Amino acid sequence: MAAVREAGVTATRRAKARLGVLLAAPAMALMALFFLFPLVSAGYFSLTSWNGVVPQAPFVGLRNFVEMLTDGQVWHALANNAIWIVIGTAAPLVIGLLLAVLLWSGARGVLAYRLAFFLPYVLPQVVIGIAWTWIYDPVYGWVNKVLNAIGLDALARGWLGEPDTALFAVLATAIWATFGFAVVIFLAALQNVDLDLVDAARIDGANALQRLVHVVLPQIMPVFLMVTTVILVGGFSVFDIVFIMTGGGPGNATEVLGTYAFENAFTLNRVGYGTALALMVTLLSLPFVIILNRMQRRHVQEKAG
Amino acid sequence: MTITGSSRRPGQTPSTSAVRQLVLLAFAFLSLFPPLLILSTAIRTPEDVRTAPFDLFTSFSVENIAAAWTRANFSEYFLNSVLLAVPSTVLVVVLATAAGYAFARCAFLGRDLLFYAMMLGLLVPFFTIMIPLYFQLRQLGLLDTLIGAILVLTMTQLAFGTFMMRSFFIDIPNEFEQAARVDGASEWQIFLHVMLPFVRSAAGALTVFAFLQNWNNFLVPLLYLPGGEYRPLTAGLYLLASGRTLDIGPLAAGSLLTVLPVIAVFLVAQRQLLRGFMAGAVKG
Repeated sequence: MAAVREAGVTATRRAKARLGVLLAAPAMALMALFFLFPLVSAGYFSLTSWNGVVPQAPFVGLRNFVEMLTDGQVWHALANNAIWIVIGTAAPLVIGLLLAVLLWSGARGVLAYRLAFFLPYVLPQVVIGIAWTWIYDPVYGWVNKVLNAIGLDALARGWLGEPDTALFAVLATAIWATFGFAVVIFLAALQNVDLDLVDAARIDGANALQRLVHVVLPQIMPVFLMVTTVILVGGFSVFDIVFIMTGGGPGNATEVLGTYAFENAFTLNRVGYGTALALMVTLLSLPFVIILNRMQRRHVQEKAG
Repeated sequence: MTITGSSRRPGQTPSTSAVRQLVLLAFAFLSLFPPLLILSTAIRTPEDVRTAPFDLFTSFSVENIAAAWTRANFSEYFLNSVLLAVPSTVLVVVLATAAGYAFARCAFLGRDLLFYAMMLGLLVPFFTIMIPLYFQLRQLGLLDTLIGAILVLTMTQLAFGTFMMRSFFIDIPNEFEQAARVDGASEWQIFLHVMLPFVRSAAGALTVFAFLQNWNNFLVPLLYLPGGEYRPLTAGLYLLASGRTLDIGPLAAGSLLTVLPVIAVFLVAQRQLLRGFMAGAVKG
Protein backbone atom coordinates (compact mmCIF):
# COMPACT_ATOMS: atom_id res chain seq x y z
CA MET A 1 0.00 0.00 0.00
CA ALA A 2 2.75 2.41 1.06
CA ALA A 3 4.86 1.32 -1.88
CA VAL A 4 2.01 2.02 -4.26
CA ARG A 5 1.49 5.47 -2.81
CA GLU A 6 5.20 6.17 -3.02
CA ALA A 7 5.27 5.09 -6.64
CA GLY A 8 2.33 7.44 -7.26
CA VAL A 9 4.17 10.35 -5.65
CA THR A 10 7.28 9.65 -7.72
CA ALA A 11 5.21 9.46 -10.89
CA THR A 12 3.55 12.76 -10.03
CA ARG A 13 6.91 14.35 -9.30
CA ARG A 14 8.25 13.12 -12.63
CA ALA A 15 5.22 14.37 -14.53
CA LYS A 16 5.60 17.72 -12.83
CA ALA A 17 9.30 17.91 -13.61
CA ARG A 18 8.55 17.14 -17.26
CA LEU A 19 5.91 19.84 -17.40
CA GLY A 20 8.30 22.27 -15.69
CA VAL A 21 11.03 21.69 -18.25
CA LEU A 22 8.52 22.04 -21.06
CA LEU A 23 7.11 25.30 -19.72
CA ALA A 24 10.44 26.90 -18.88
CA ALA A 25 12.13 25.88 -22.14
CA PRO A 26 10.78 28.57 -24.51
CA ALA A 27 11.58 31.44 -22.14
CA MET A 28 14.97 29.95 -21.33
CA ALA A 29 15.79 29.47 -25.01
CA LEU A 30 14.98 33.11 -25.76
CA MET A 31 17.02 34.34 -22.80
CA ALA A 32 19.94 32.11 -23.77
CA LEU A 33 19.94 33.30 -27.37
CA PHE A 34 19.33 37.03 -26.90
CA PHE A 35 20.72 37.68 -23.44
CA LEU A 36 23.16 35.08 -22.09
CA PHE A 37 24.97 34.48 -25.36
CA PRO A 38 25.49 38.20 -26.09
CA LEU A 39 26.57 38.64 -22.47
CA VAL A 40 29.29 36.02 -22.93
CA SER A 41 30.15 37.66 -26.27
CA ALA A 42 30.45 40.98 -24.42
CA GLY A 43 33.00 39.37 -22.15
CA TYR A 44 34.93 38.12 -25.18
CA PHE A 45 34.60 41.35 -27.22
CA SER A 46 35.94 43.32 -24.28
CA LEU A 47 39.21 41.39 -24.55
CA THR A 48 39.65 42.22 -28.23
CA SER A 49 40.36 45.28 -30.31
CA TRP A 50 37.67 44.33 -32.83
CA ASN A 51 36.46 47.09 -35.16
CA GLY A 52 33.25 45.30 -36.12
CA VAL A 53 34.40 44.76 -39.70
CA VAL A 54 37.25 42.24 -39.92
CA PRO A 55 36.11 38.63 -39.48
CA GLN A 56 38.69 37.73 -36.84
CA ALA A 57 38.69 39.85 -33.68
CA PRO A 58 42.30 40.54 -32.54
CA PHE A 59 42.72 39.35 -28.96
CA VAL A 60 44.38 41.92 -26.71
CA GLY A 61 43.74 40.59 -23.21
CA LEU A 62 43.03 43.24 -20.61
CA ARG A 63 44.43 46.10 -22.69
CA ASN A 64 41.00 47.78 -23.03
CA PHE A 65 40.59 47.88 -19.28
CA VAL A 66 44.10 49.26 -18.83
CA GLU A 67 43.36 51.91 -21.45
CA MET A 68 40.29 52.99 -19.49
CA LEU A 69 42.47 53.90 -16.53
CA THR A 70 44.42 56.40 -18.62
CA ASP A 71 41.54 57.59 -20.80
CA GLY A 72 40.60 61.05 -19.53
CA GLN A 73 37.22 60.77 -21.25
CA VAL A 74 36.38 57.75 -19.13
CA TRP A 75 37.14 59.58 -15.90
CA HIS A 76 35.14 62.57 -17.09
CA ALA A 77 32.19 60.33 -17.97
CA LEU A 78 32.56 58.50 -14.66
CA ALA A 79 32.45 61.81 -12.78
CA ASN A 80 29.24 62.70 -14.63
CA ASN A 81 27.83 59.28 -13.76
CA ALA A 82 28.72 59.90 -10.12
CA ILE A 83 26.93 63.26 -10.09
CA TRP A 84 24.01 61.59 -11.81
CA ILE A 85 23.89 58.72 -9.32
CA VAL A 86 24.06 60.92 -6.21
CA ILE A 87 21.66 63.72 -7.22
CA GLY A 88 19.56 61.58 -9.52
CA THR A 89 18.93 59.06 -6.73
CA ALA A 90 18.60 61.40 -3.77
CA ALA A 91 16.21 63.87 -5.42
CA PRO A 92 13.48 61.40 -6.48
CA LEU A 93 13.71 59.67 -3.08
CA VAL A 94 13.33 62.92 -1.12
CA ILE A 95 10.63 64.40 -3.36
CA GLY A 96 8.89 61.04 -3.57
CA LEU A 97 8.84 60.53 0.17
CA LEU A 98 7.69 64.10 0.83
CA LEU A 99 4.81 63.90 -1.63
CA ALA A 100 3.81 60.40 -0.58
CA VAL A 101 3.64 61.43 3.09
CA LEU A 102 1.65 64.56 2.19
CA LEU A 103 -0.84 62.44 0.26
CA TRP A 104 -0.96 59.76 2.92
CA SER A 105 -1.58 62.00 5.90
CA GLY A 106 -4.75 63.41 4.51
CA ALA A 107 -4.94 65.38 1.29
CA ARG A 108 -7.96 65.78 -0.94
CA GLY A 109 -7.92 64.29 -4.45
CA VAL A 110 -5.30 61.62 -3.77
CA LEU A 111 -6.18 59.63 -6.89
CA ALA A 112 -5.85 62.66 -9.18
CA TYR A 113 -2.48 63.61 -7.69
CA ARG A 114 -1.25 60.06 -7.94
CA LEU A 115 -2.17 59.96 -11.63
CA ALA A 116 -0.54 63.34 -12.29
CA PHE A 117 2.72 62.40 -10.56
CA PHE A 118 2.91 59.00 -12.17
CA LEU A 119 2.22 60.14 -15.73
CA PRO A 120 5.80 61.23 -16.54
CA TYR A 121 7.08 57.80 -15.57
CA VAL A 122 5.08 56.06 -18.31
CA LEU A 123 5.85 58.52 -21.11
CA PRO A 124 8.42 57.46 -23.72
CA GLN A 125 11.89 58.93 -23.14
CA VAL A 126 11.91 60.34 -26.66
CA VAL A 127 8.80 62.42 -26.01
CA ILE A 128 10.11 63.52 -22.62
CA GLY A 129 13.36 64.57 -24.29
CA ILE A 130 11.54 66.55 -26.98
CA ALA A 131 9.25 68.35 -24.51
CA TRP A 132 12.11 69.32 -22.22
CA THR A 133 14.33 70.43 -25.09
CA TRP A 134 11.56 72.93 -25.87
CA ILE A 135 11.27 73.97 -22.23
CA TYR A 136 15.04 74.66 -22.17
CA ASP A 137 14.98 76.46 -25.54
CA PRO A 138 17.25 79.52 -25.25
CA VAL A 139 14.85 81.89 -27.05
CA TYR A 140 11.31 80.58 -26.67
CA GLY A 141 11.69 78.13 -23.78
CA TRP A 142 9.58 78.38 -20.65
CA VAL A 143 12.49 78.28 -18.18
CA ASN A 144 13.88 81.49 -19.63
CA LYS A 145 10.41 82.97 -20.06
CA VAL A 146 9.70 82.48 -16.38
CA LEU A 147 13.12 83.80 -15.35
CA ASN A 148 12.58 86.91 -17.46
CA ALA A 149 9.10 87.38 -16.06
CA ILE A 150 10.32 87.40 -12.47
CA GLY A 151 13.23 89.73 -13.23
CA LEU A 152 16.00 87.15 -13.20
CA ASP A 153 16.98 87.81 -16.81
CA ALA A 154 20.62 87.40 -15.87
CA LEU A 155 20.08 83.71 -15.20
CA ALA A 156 18.45 82.98 -18.55
CA ARG A 157 20.66 80.94 -20.87
CA GLY A 158 20.76 78.10 -23.37
CA TRP A 159 20.46 75.41 -20.77
CA LEU A 160 21.26 72.41 -22.96
CA GLY A 161 23.76 74.28 -25.12
CA GLU A 162 26.13 75.41 -22.40
CA PRO A 163 28.65 73.01 -20.88
CA ASP A 164 28.11 74.33 -17.33
CA THR A 165 24.37 73.68 -17.25
CA ALA A 166 23.73 70.90 -19.77
CA LEU A 167 24.33 67.97 -17.42
CA PHE A 168 22.10 69.40 -14.71
CA ALA A 169 19.40 70.30 -17.21
CA VAL A 170 19.25 66.71 -18.48
CA LEU A 171 19.47 65.40 -14.91
CA ALA A 172 16.53 67.60 -13.88
CA THR A 173 14.54 66.06 -16.72
CA ALA A 174 15.43 62.58 -15.51
CA ILE A 175 14.41 63.46 -11.95
CA TRP A 176 11.14 64.83 -13.30
CA ALA A 177 10.53 61.52 -15.05
CA THR A 178 11.36 59.42 -11.97
CA PHE A 179 9.99 60.96 -8.79
CA GLY A 180 6.40 59.87 -9.54
CA PHE A 181 7.51 56.24 -9.44
CA ALA A 182 8.83 56.83 -5.91
CA VAL A 183 5.63 58.62 -4.84
CA VAL A 184 3.37 55.81 -5.99
CA ILE A 185 5.41 52.98 -4.49
CA PHE A 186 5.98 54.83 -1.20
CA LEU A 187 2.30 55.71 -0.95
CA ALA A 188 1.37 52.06 -1.35
CA ALA A 189 3.91 51.06 1.30
CA LEU A 190 2.64 53.71 3.71
CA GLN A 191 -0.77 52.01 3.78
CA ASN A 192 0.79 49.29 5.94
CA VAL A 193 2.34 51.61 8.50
CA ASP A 194 1.20 51.03 12.08
CA LEU A 195 -0.64 54.21 13.04
CA ASP A 196 -0.63 53.37 16.76
CA LEU A 197 3.13 53.79 16.77
CA VAL A 198 2.81 57.15 15.02
CA ASP A 199 0.22 58.28 17.57
CA ALA A 200 2.38 57.09 20.44
CA ALA A 201 5.32 59.07 19.11
CA ARG A 202 3.14 62.15 18.80
CA ILE A 203 2.02 61.82 22.41
CA ASP A 204 5.68 61.49 23.40
CA GLY A 205 6.23 64.87 21.78
CA ALA A 206 7.94 63.85 18.51
CA ASN A 207 7.50 66.47 15.78
CA ALA A 208 6.49 65.64 12.24
CA LEU A 209 10.05 65.21 10.97
CA GLN A 210 11.05 63.05 13.93
CA ARG A 211 7.96 60.90 13.45
CA LEU A 212 8.80 60.50 9.77
CA VAL A 213 12.45 59.60 10.31
CA HIS A 214 12.13 57.47 13.45
CA VAL A 215 8.69 55.89 13.20
CA VAL A 216 7.40 55.89 9.63
CA LEU A 217 10.60 55.42 7.60
CA PRO A 218 11.85 52.31 9.48
CA GLN A 219 8.51 50.65 8.78
CA ILE A 220 8.75 51.14 5.02
CA MET A 221 12.52 50.53 4.90
CA PRO A 222 12.40 47.40 2.66
CA VAL A 223 10.39 49.32 0.06
CA PHE A 224 12.58 52.38 0.49
CA LEU A 225 15.71 50.32 -0.18
CA MET A 226 14.07 48.65 -3.17
CA VAL A 227 13.20 52.00 -4.76
CA THR A 228 16.73 53.20 -3.98
CA THR A 229 18.19 50.17 -5.77
CA VAL A 230 16.02 50.60 -8.84
CA ILE A 231 16.83 54.31 -9.24
CA LEU A 232 20.51 53.88 -8.38
CA VAL A 233 21.07 51.11 -10.90
CA GLY A 234 19.26 53.28 -13.45
CA GLY A 235 21.79 56.00 -12.64
CA PHE A 236 24.74 53.76 -13.47
CA SER A 237 23.28 52.68 -16.76
CA VAL A 238 21.77 56.04 -17.75
CA PHE A 239 21.74 56.25 -21.51
CA ASP A 240 18.49 56.98 -23.35
CA ILE A 241 17.68 60.43 -22.02
CA VAL A 242 21.24 61.75 -22.43
CA PHE A 243 21.54 60.22 -25.88
CA ILE A 244 18.23 61.78 -26.91
CA MET A 245 18.68 65.25 -25.41
CA THR A 246 22.36 66.05 -25.95
CA GLY A 247 24.09 62.97 -27.38
CA GLY A 248 26.80 63.59 -24.77
CA GLY A 249 27.43 67.19 -25.82
CA PRO A 250 27.94 70.08 -25.97
CA GLY A 251 31.55 69.10 -26.41
CA ASN A 252 31.54 66.22 -23.98
CA ALA A 253 29.82 68.04 -21.12
CA THR A 254 27.09 65.44 -20.64
CA GLU A 255 29.08 62.36 -21.63
CA VAL A 256 28.29 59.40 -19.38
CA LEU A 257 29.77 55.91 -19.58
CA GLY A 258 26.76 54.71 -21.57
CA THR A 259 27.00 57.34 -24.31
CA TYR A 260 30.78 57.00 -24.45
CA ALA A 261 30.48 53.23 -24.90
CA PHE A 262 27.90 53.71 -27.65
CA GLU A 263 30.06 56.28 -29.41
CA ASN A 264 33.09 54.01 -29.34
CA ALA A 265 31.21 50.99 -30.66
CA PHE A 266 29.00 52.53 -33.31
CA THR A 267 30.66 55.80 -34.32
CA LEU A 268 34.38 55.20 -33.83
CA ASN A 269 34.25 51.50 -34.79
CA ARG A 270 35.98 50.55 -31.56
CA VAL A 271 33.67 47.65 -30.77
CA GLY A 272 36.08 45.98 -28.35
CA TYR A 273 36.70 49.11 -26.30
CA GLY A 274 33.03 50.13 -26.33
CA THR A 275 31.96 46.72 -25.10
CA ALA A 276 34.57 46.79 -22.34
CA LEU A 277 33.17 50.16 -21.22
CA ALA A 278 29.60 48.87 -21.21
CA LEU A 279 30.70 45.85 -19.19
CA MET A 280 32.48 48.13 -16.75
CA VAL A 281 29.19 49.86 -15.92
CA THR A 282 27.62 46.57 -14.85
CA LEU A 283 30.67 45.62 -12.80
CA LEU A 284 30.67 49.00 -11.04
CA SER A 285 26.99 48.79 -10.14
CA LEU A 286 27.14 45.21 -8.83
CA PRO A 287 28.55 45.98 -5.34
CA PHE A 288 25.80 48.55 -4.76
CA VAL A 289 23.10 46.13 -5.87
CA ILE A 290 24.46 43.43 -3.58
CA ILE A 291 24.81 45.71 -0.54
CA LEU A 292 21.34 47.21 -0.96
CA ASN A 293 19.86 43.77 -1.52
CA ARG A 294 21.47 42.49 1.69
CA MET A 295 20.16 45.46 3.63
CA GLN A 296 16.71 44.95 2.21
CA ARG A 297 16.71 41.29 3.14
CA ARG A 298 17.85 42.07 6.67
CA HIS A 299 15.01 44.56 7.11
CA VAL A 300 12.46 42.11 5.78
CA GLN A 301 13.72 39.47 8.22
CA GLU A 302 13.70 41.90 11.12
CA LYS A 303 10.12 42.76 10.33
CA ALA A 304 9.14 39.11 10.04
CA GLY A 305 11.09 37.96 13.09
CA MET B 1 -5.83 48.52 -1.63
CA THR B 2 -7.05 51.87 -0.39
CA ILE B 3 -5.03 54.87 -1.36
CA THR B 4 -6.77 57.31 0.94
CA GLY B 5 -4.37 56.92 3.85
CA SER B 6 -5.54 56.67 7.41
CA SER B 7 -9.03 57.44 8.48
CA ARG B 8 -7.62 58.79 11.69
CA ARG B 9 -6.37 62.18 10.62
CA PRO B 10 -3.73 63.84 12.70
CA GLY B 11 -5.21 67.14 13.86
CA GLN B 12 -4.06 69.32 11.01
CA THR B 13 -3.95 73.03 11.49
CA PRO B 14 -5.42 74.95 8.53
CA SER B 15 -2.06 76.53 7.69
CA THR B 16 -0.12 73.26 7.27
CA SER B 17 -3.05 71.97 5.30
CA ALA B 18 -2.81 74.92 2.89
CA VAL B 19 0.96 74.52 2.53
CA ARG B 20 0.46 70.83 1.89
CA GLN B 21 -2.09 71.48 -0.84
CA LEU B 22 0.16 74.12 -2.38
CA VAL B 23 3.17 71.78 -2.55
CA LEU B 24 1.05 69.04 -4.08
CA LEU B 25 -0.44 71.42 -6.62
CA ALA B 26 2.98 72.75 -7.59
CA PHE B 27 4.33 69.28 -8.27
CA ALA B 28 1.18 68.22 -10.09
CA PHE B 29 1.53 71.27 -12.31
CA LEU B 30 5.19 70.44 -12.91
CA SER B 31 4.29 66.86 -13.85
CA LEU B 32 1.56 67.86 -16.26
CA PHE B 33 3.19 70.87 -17.90
CA PRO B 34 5.50 69.10 -20.42
CA PRO B 35 2.75 66.77 -21.70
CA LEU B 36 0.43 69.78 -21.97
CA LEU B 37 3.09 71.65 -23.92
CA ILE B 38 3.20 68.77 -26.41
CA LEU B 39 -0.59 68.73 -26.69
CA SER B 40 -0.80 72.49 -27.09
CA THR B 41 1.89 72.65 -29.76
CA ALA B 42 0.34 69.76 -31.67
CA ILE B 43 -3.10 71.36 -31.92
CA ARG B 44 -2.16 74.96 -32.73
CA THR B 45 -2.06 76.25 -36.29
CA PRO B 46 1.30 75.83 -38.08
CA GLU B 47 1.68 79.61 -38.58
CA ASP B 48 1.00 80.20 -34.92
CA VAL B 49 3.61 77.62 -33.94
CA ARG B 50 6.12 79.23 -36.30
CA THR B 51 5.73 82.72 -34.86
CA ALA B 52 5.44 81.81 -31.17
CA PRO B 53 6.63 78.21 -30.89
CA PHE B 54 5.78 77.31 -27.33
CA ASP B 55 2.93 79.59 -26.32
CA LEU B 56 0.07 77.64 -24.82
CA PHE B 57 -3.27 76.98 -26.53
CA THR B 58 -3.38 80.19 -28.59
CA SER B 59 -5.16 78.63 -31.56
CA PHE B 60 -6.75 75.40 -32.63
CA SER B 61 -6.19 73.31 -35.75
CA VAL B 62 -5.64 69.68 -36.62
CA GLU B 63 -3.31 70.65 -39.46
CA ASN B 64 -0.14 69.52 -37.68
CA ILE B 65 -1.65 66.18 -36.84
CA ALA B 66 -2.87 65.71 -40.40
CA ALA B 67 0.58 66.65 -41.70
CA ALA B 68 2.32 64.23 -39.35
CA TRP B 69 -0.09 61.45 -40.27
CA THR B 70 -0.02 61.89 -44.04
CA ARG B 71 3.26 63.58 -44.92
CA ALA B 72 5.70 62.79 -42.11
CA ASN B 73 5.14 59.01 -42.22
CA PHE B 74 3.59 58.81 -38.79
CA SER B 75 0.74 56.56 -39.96
CA GLU B 76 3.40 54.09 -41.03
CA TYR B 77 5.35 54.50 -37.78
CA PHE B 78 2.13 54.00 -35.84
CA LEU B 79 1.41 50.73 -37.61
CA ASN B 80 4.98 49.57 -37.00
CA SER B 81 4.68 50.42 -33.31
CA VAL B 82 1.61 48.19 -33.14
CA LEU B 83 3.34 45.41 -35.10
CA LEU B 84 6.27 45.50 -32.66
CA ALA B 85 4.57 46.11 -29.32
CA VAL B 86 1.57 43.79 -29.57
CA PRO B 87 3.31 40.51 -30.51
CA SER B 88 6.20 41.12 -28.12
CA THR B 89 3.76 41.81 -25.28
CA VAL B 90 1.80 38.62 -26.00
CA LEU B 91 5.05 36.67 -26.10
CA VAL B 92 6.26 38.16 -22.81
CA VAL B 93 3.03 37.29 -21.01
CA VAL B 94 2.78 33.74 -22.40
CA LEU B 95 6.45 32.83 -21.91
CA ALA B 96 6.75 34.50 -18.51
CA THR B 97 3.59 32.83 -17.21
CA ALA B 98 4.78 29.41 -18.34
CA ALA B 99 8.29 29.89 -16.99
CA GLY B 100 7.00 31.51 -13.80
CA TYR B 101 4.91 28.43 -13.10
CA ALA B 102 7.79 26.09 -13.83
CA PHE B 103 10.17 27.98 -11.55
CA ALA B 104 7.60 28.36 -8.78
CA ARG B 105 6.01 24.93 -8.56
CA CYS B 106 7.85 22.28 -10.57
CA ALA B 107 11.02 20.73 -9.21
CA PHE B 108 13.37 19.75 -12.03
CA LEU B 109 17.07 19.28 -12.42
CA GLY B 110 18.97 22.56 -12.75
CA ARG B 111 15.93 24.69 -11.97
CA ASP B 112 17.63 27.07 -9.56
CA LEU B 113 20.62 27.51 -11.81
CA LEU B 114 18.39 28.36 -14.78
CA PHE B 115 16.37 30.74 -12.65
CA TYR B 116 19.46 32.62 -11.49
CA ALA B 117 20.75 32.74 -15.04
CA MET B 118 17.48 34.33 -16.08
CA MET B 119 17.48 36.78 -13.19
CA LEU B 120 20.83 38.09 -14.43
CA GLY B 121 18.58 39.85 -16.92
CA LEU B 122 17.29 42.06 -14.08
CA LEU B 123 20.83 42.99 -13.08
CA VAL B 124 22.56 43.66 -16.36
CA PRO B 125 21.50 46.85 -18.14
CA PHE B 126 20.47 46.38 -21.74
CA PHE B 127 23.23 48.51 -23.15
CA THR B 128 25.87 46.13 -21.78
CA ILE B 129 24.76 43.56 -24.34
CA MET B 130 23.50 45.91 -27.05
CA ILE B 131 26.78 45.91 -28.98
CA PRO B 132 27.35 42.12 -29.25
CA LEU B 133 23.62 41.66 -29.81
CA TYR B 134 23.84 43.88 -32.87
CA PHE B 135 26.49 41.69 -34.48
CA GLN B 136 24.73 38.51 -33.40
CA LEU B 137 21.46 39.60 -35.03
CA ARG B 138 23.37 40.51 -38.17
CA GLN B 139 24.93 37.06 -38.24
CA LEU B 140 21.57 35.34 -37.71
CA GLY B 141 20.02 37.38 -40.51
CA LEU B 142 17.61 38.94 -38.00
CA LEU B 143 18.91 42.49 -38.26
CA ASP B 144 16.30 44.77 -39.80
CA THR B 145 13.55 42.17 -39.48
CA LEU B 146 10.33 42.46 -37.47
CA ILE B 147 10.85 39.05 -35.94
CA GLY B 148 14.33 39.97 -34.69
CA ALA B 149 13.14 43.19 -33.05
CA ILE B 150 10.09 41.45 -31.54
CA LEU B 151 12.26 38.72 -30.00
CA VAL B 152 14.70 41.26 -28.56
CA LEU B 153 11.85 43.35 -27.12
CA THR B 154 10.40 40.18 -25.59
CA MET B 155 13.75 39.37 -24.04
CA THR B 156 14.01 42.81 -22.40
CA GLN B 157 10.82 42.14 -20.37
CA LEU B 158 11.15 38.42 -19.83
CA ALA B 159 13.28 38.33 -16.68
CA PHE B 160 11.04 40.80 -14.90
CA GLY B 161 7.89 39.07 -16.15
CA THR B 162 9.04 35.62 -15.09
CA PHE B 163 10.10 36.90 -11.69
CA MET B 164 6.74 38.58 -11.20
CA MET B 165 4.61 35.63 -12.33
CA ARG B 166 6.70 33.24 -10.25
CA SER B 167 6.05 35.25 -7.10
CA PHE B 168 2.29 35.02 -7.72
CA PHE B 169 2.38 31.28 -8.43
CA ILE B 170 4.35 30.68 -5.22
CA ASP B 171 1.54 32.21 -3.16
CA ILE B 172 -1.15 29.75 -4.32
CA PRO B 173 -1.92 27.25 -1.52
CA ASN B 174 -0.99 23.62 -2.23
CA GLU B 175 -4.47 22.35 -1.34
CA PHE B 176 -5.97 23.38 -4.68
CA GLU B 177 -3.37 21.45 -6.60
CA GLN B 178 -3.74 18.37 -4.41
CA ALA B 179 -7.53 18.38 -4.63
CA ALA B 180 -7.37 18.49 -8.42
CA ARG B 181 -4.83 15.66 -8.44
CA VAL B 182 -7.10 13.49 -6.27
CA ASP B 183 -9.83 14.18 -8.82
CA GLY B 184 -7.56 12.70 -11.45
CA ALA B 185 -6.46 15.86 -13.25
CA SER B 186 -3.22 15.64 -15.20
CA GLU B 187 -0.32 18.02 -14.45
CA TRP B 188 -1.09 19.92 -17.64
CA GLN B 189 -4.77 20.23 -16.69
CA ILE B 190 -3.83 21.42 -13.21
CA PHE B 191 -1.66 24.16 -14.73
CA LEU B 192 -4.31 25.23 -17.25
CA HIS B 193 -7.52 24.95 -15.26
CA VAL B 194 -6.52 25.25 -11.61
CA MET B 195 -3.44 27.46 -11.44
CA LEU B 196 -3.84 29.86 -14.36
CA PRO B 197 -7.14 31.34 -13.12
CA PHE B 198 -5.36 32.40 -9.90
CA VAL B 199 -2.88 34.58 -11.77
CA ARG B 200 -5.27 36.10 -14.30
CA SER B 201 -5.09 39.58 -12.83
CA ALA B 202 -1.33 39.35 -12.36
CA ALA B 203 -1.01 38.43 -16.03
CA GLY B 204 -3.20 41.44 -16.82
CA ALA B 205 -0.86 43.67 -14.84
CA LEU B 206 2.13 42.25 -16.69
CA THR B 207 0.39 42.79 -20.03
CA VAL B 208 -0.11 46.48 -19.30
CA PHE B 209 3.41 46.94 -18.00
CA ALA B 210 5.11 45.06 -20.84
CA PHE B 211 3.03 46.81 -23.48
CA LEU B 212 4.05 50.25 -22.24
CA GLN B 213 7.71 49.24 -22.07
CA ASN B 214 7.64 47.74 -25.56
CA TRP B 215 5.68 50.62 -27.06
CA ASN B 216 8.06 53.16 -25.51
CA ASN B 217 11.26 51.28 -26.33
CA PHE B 218 13.59 53.45 -28.31
CA LEU B 219 16.98 51.80 -28.53
CA VAL B 220 15.89 48.40 -29.88
CA PRO B 221 14.21 49.75 -33.04
CA LEU B 222 16.84 52.45 -33.49
CA LEU B 223 19.71 49.95 -33.44
CA TYR B 224 18.21 46.77 -34.83
CA LEU B 225 15.83 48.19 -37.46
CA PRO B 226 18.26 50.55 -39.21
CA GLY B 227 16.70 50.22 -42.66
CA GLY B 228 13.63 52.25 -41.77
CA GLU B 229 11.05 49.92 -43.25
CA TYR B 230 9.78 48.85 -39.81
CA ARG B 231 10.57 52.07 -37.96
CA PRO B 232 8.14 52.67 -35.05
CA LEU B 233 7.00 55.98 -33.54
CA THR B 234 9.81 56.37 -31.02
CA ALA B 235 12.62 55.92 -33.53
CA GLY B 236 10.76 58.03 -36.11
CA LEU B 237 10.37 60.83 -33.59
CA TYR B 238 14.02 60.69 -32.62
CA LEU B 239 15.16 60.92 -36.23
CA LEU B 240 12.72 63.77 -36.90
CA ALA B 241 13.86 65.61 -33.76
CA SER B 242 17.54 65.25 -34.58
CA GLY B 243 17.05 66.21 -38.22
CA ARG B 244 18.40 69.43 -39.68
CA THR B 245 15.14 71.04 -40.72
CA LEU B 246 13.29 71.16 -37.48
CA ASP B 247 9.55 71.44 -37.96
CA ILE B 248 8.09 71.79 -34.51
CA GLY B 249 4.43 71.36 -35.46
CA PRO B 250 4.68 67.84 -36.94
CA LEU B 251 7.19 66.91 -34.22
CA ALA B 252 4.61 67.82 -31.58
CA ALA B 253 1.87 66.02 -33.50
CA GLY B 254 4.06 62.92 -33.80
CA SER B 255 4.77 63.06 -30.08
CA LEU B 256 1.06 63.31 -29.42
CA LEU B 257 0.37 60.26 -31.60
CA THR B 258 3.06 58.39 -29.66
CA VAL B 259 1.75 59.21 -26.20
CA LEU B 260 -2.01 58.99 -26.83
CA PRO B 261 -2.08 55.17 -26.63
CA VAL B 262 0.24 55.32 -23.62
CA ILE B 263 -2.05 57.73 -21.79
CA ALA B 264 -5.15 55.73 -22.76
CA VAL B 265 -3.64 52.50 -21.42
CA PHE B 266 -2.35 54.34 -18.38
CA LEU B 267 -5.74 55.83 -17.49
CA VAL B 268 -7.74 52.67 -18.14
CA ALA B 269 -5.32 50.27 -16.50
CA GLN B 270 -3.37 52.28 -13.93
CA ARG B 271 -4.54 49.96 -11.17
CA GLN B 272 -3.10 46.92 -12.95
CA LEU B 273 0.03 48.84 -13.80
CA LEU B 274 0.60 49.68 -10.16
CA ARG B 275 -0.01 46.05 -9.24
CA GLY B 276 2.67 45.03 -11.70
CA PHE B 277 5.12 47.51 -10.24
CA MET B 278 4.41 46.52 -6.67
CA ALA B 279 4.57 42.82 -7.43
CA GLY B 280 7.87 43.04 -9.22
CA ALA B 281 9.29 45.48 -6.77
CA VAL B 282 8.06 44.65 -3.32
CA LYS B 283 7.32 40.96 -3.27
CA GLY B 284 10.86 39.93 -4.10
